[in-house]
Amino acid sequence: MNTGAPIATKEMRFRSLFENSPELILYQDRAGVILDANPAFLALVGEPKDRVLHHLYTDFLPPDVHELFDEKLREALTGRTVRFDMYTSQGKSAPRHWDVVKIPLQEHGQVVGVHMVARDISEKTRTQEELVAQNQDLQQFTYIVSHNLRAPLANALGLVDLLGQEAAGTPEFEQARTFLAHNLHQLDLVLRDMNTILTIRDRQDLTAPEQVELPEVVQQVVTSLQDVLDQCGGTVEVALPTGLHLPANRAYIYSIFFNLLSNAIKYRAEHRPLRVVISAEQGPAGELTLAVADNGSGFDQAQAGTNLFKLYQRFHPQQPGRGVGLYLVKTHVESMGGRIEVASRLDVGTRFTIFLPATSA
Amino acid sequence: MKTLLIEDDPTAVFLTKRLFHHEGIPDELTTFLSPQKGLDFIRAQLAAGLPPEVILLDLNMPILNGWDVLAALEPLQEHLLGRCLVYILTSSLATTDLARAEAHPLVTGFIHKPLKRDELLAIQTQVQESHLN
Repeated sequence: MNTGAPIATKEMRFRSLFENSPELILYQDRAGVILDANPAFLALVGEPKDRVLHHLYTDFLPPDVHELFDEKLREALTGRTVRFDMYTSQGKSAPRHWDVVKIPLQEHGQVVGVHMVARDISEKTRTQEELVAQNQDLQQFTYIVSHNLRAPLANALGLVDLLGQEAAGTPEFEQARTFLAHNLHQLDLVLRDMNTILTIRDRQDLTAPEQVELPEVVQQVVTSLQDVLDQCGGTVEVALPTGLHLPANRAYIYSIFFNLLSNAIKYRAEHRPLRVVISAEQGPAGELTLAVADNGSGFDQAQAGTNLFKLYQRFHPQQPGRGVGLYLVKTHVESMGGRIEVASRLDVGTRFTIFLPATSA
Repeated sequence: MKTLLIEDDPTAVFLTKRLFHHEGIPDELTTFLSPQKGLDFIRAQLAAGLPPEVILLDLNMPILNGWDVLAALEPLQEHLLGRCLVYILTSSLATTDLARAEAHPLVTGFIHKPLKRDELLAIQTQVQESHLN
């Protein structure tokens, strides 16, 4: 049967694949020089073809990945197909995750060059990372249920039993009743915390950001804590450029600064007046760095490890608190696409730094 | 039955104290809210040749948790094994905690809070058996 349609030559078929593929395709000689590059690659590196051909591929890569690429090229030159993942910028592109395959081309039993096909897997990688993070959250909730909900409940069960054994009106009976009330209250608090946190996580993607005037919100936080500050002789310096605003949820911004400032007050050094500096710095691309630094009691970073921002982790048993504040702060920051870091030295002070990306800043 | 309780929750301490009281052995129980002080006590008692026969150890404590206490006791293992039975006393329902406790050479048993009368009697029996061996 002849449909009459022209049959594309082999060369045309391969050329079409090369020209139209969204994957980056390169052909390099044994020295790593680019002999051919497809439009997807040229578009990514943002260079015309004549600025790409006859250049080393490594000219388009940042120095820190040169060694890896050279090594993989050498491996492919031995006649083996090599596949690896990597995170790098190329030419003028932003850094992305790539799934890279290097395929040797053999002529008369000799490797004469290497084809490279690179696929952008940033989206997939991001989804995977989110899944891992959500799994960790789930594990943390399992832990909360098994420890933090169960602890006051187990106490309450024991106390109810004990109330049956103690004679009414004795100090032990009254003590058991007081403990029972305290533990039921504790149980209620944990349930409320979980509700708060689950609500934030639930609404994370739904909340439409509003323009928040940062200095105004921070001033509100300072005002609401002014009484406590006065009592302990503490001062707060708000060093924010006037008019600094960011698209965010106002309640979250308030919660972040309220929790950080409350912590600074709670963990102040006893022998010197508390001083807190709240500052902000806007980067060239619009990214925002916020800092809350105090001269308080600080903590041992080696001991606290990575647990500082975890829910119900406590580091000051002699101070009241439930270990919720910093977890909330981290959740709020992450819901804005940012991250938070801490630097602390025992008896010198603590500095929390929040990095917000340009899209949200 | 000389017993040491390391537990940071005042309610749990109160419950265990009252249980020992109602069993008629209130003087057998020493309690520490601070795990570090509990450890110091164990070391001092060992040095004096009088280690506690039973340690009831909570898991979920700030700064030094129950696992940290066990890790700190590991170098003393040969002095403790057979003379001192360690029981994890926790509110945790996490199966990972149970598995970890069962795998630990120093741990004799895993008890869910609150400690009940029959569990205390079972501990007493185990202590007596360990003395016979």
